[in-house]
Amino acid sequence: MLFRILDPQTKANQFWRDFDRLNDELTRSILDSQFGSASNFPPVNVYTKEDEALVTCLLPGMETDQIDINVKDNLLSIHGRKKAEELAEGTEVHRREIFNGEFHRTLELPFRVDQEHVLAKYSNGVLNIHLPRREEDKPKKVSITIG
Amino acid sequence: MNTLTQENNRELTEKVEEKDQKQSIRVYSPNVDVMETEESILFRVEMPGVDQSSVEISIEKDQLILEGKFVPPAEPRGQVRLAEYREGNYFRKFTIGKAIHSDKAIAKMKNGILELTIPKMEPKKTKIEIQK
Repeated sequence: MLFRILDPQTKANQFWRDFDRLNDELTRSILDSQFGSASNFPPVNVYTKEDEALVTCLLPGMETDQIDINVKDNLLSIHGRKKAEELAEGTEVHRREIFNGEFHRTLELPFRVDQEHVLAKYSNGVLNIHLPRREEDKPKKVSITIG
Repeated sequence: MNTLTQENNRELTEKVEEKDQKQSIRVYSPNVDVMETEESILFRVEMPGVDQSSVEISIEKDQLILEGKFVPPAEPRGQVRLAEYREGNYFRKFTIGKAIHSDKAIAKMKNGILELTIPKMEPKKTKIEIQK
């Protein structure tokens, strides 16, 4: 954190809450740009429908056995190691832009997931994870009779 | 200074290609590894989400153009909760500073990575006699 305001009384104020959030994000982005961060790898998109969520993830050049997917309640974690391509002797490297190394991402979903029916598919370097919503978490219609 | 491959204006920010006036498709500059062995030049290009059939590679003289067309999914995926990347086409252009056998280039596509191997040409030496 760049600054810290040691006055708990101001916490209730909307302004300070927003300020703290801005402060957090700025600090994180400054740290990331200075030290580099793998925390944003791989980039992820999350889509939700009423009864399922879809997480798509750009992960080119992986093998399926190198990707570890774990689901617990409403948390999804994707973990893996991207191996660097082995170079033959006498190879000269001119450019190296492709990421390799270990990565770990945890995402929070808006509902709890039915772990048994999670479906993951990997094609053309994109990982698609379908996460169905847990039955008891689904919105239920309750009819109220006014009498 | 990189003598093997010269890059022609890599766009750091994405540019938008107007298509059919209404629908615009983003064009991204993909990450590339370039390696050189004794016999060949190897390009590895990240093109996640692009099918093998929609990749186009062309070499004209010393200009190498790599293109990948993105195909949007058939059915809607729901409400967007988090968007860290956007889908679009890929485009990158290089000038190769060495004599190559462009007709003997081999390309492979696996798990979103395009691998292109271009054999190098032995530079021909022509001795020119000086007339007396």
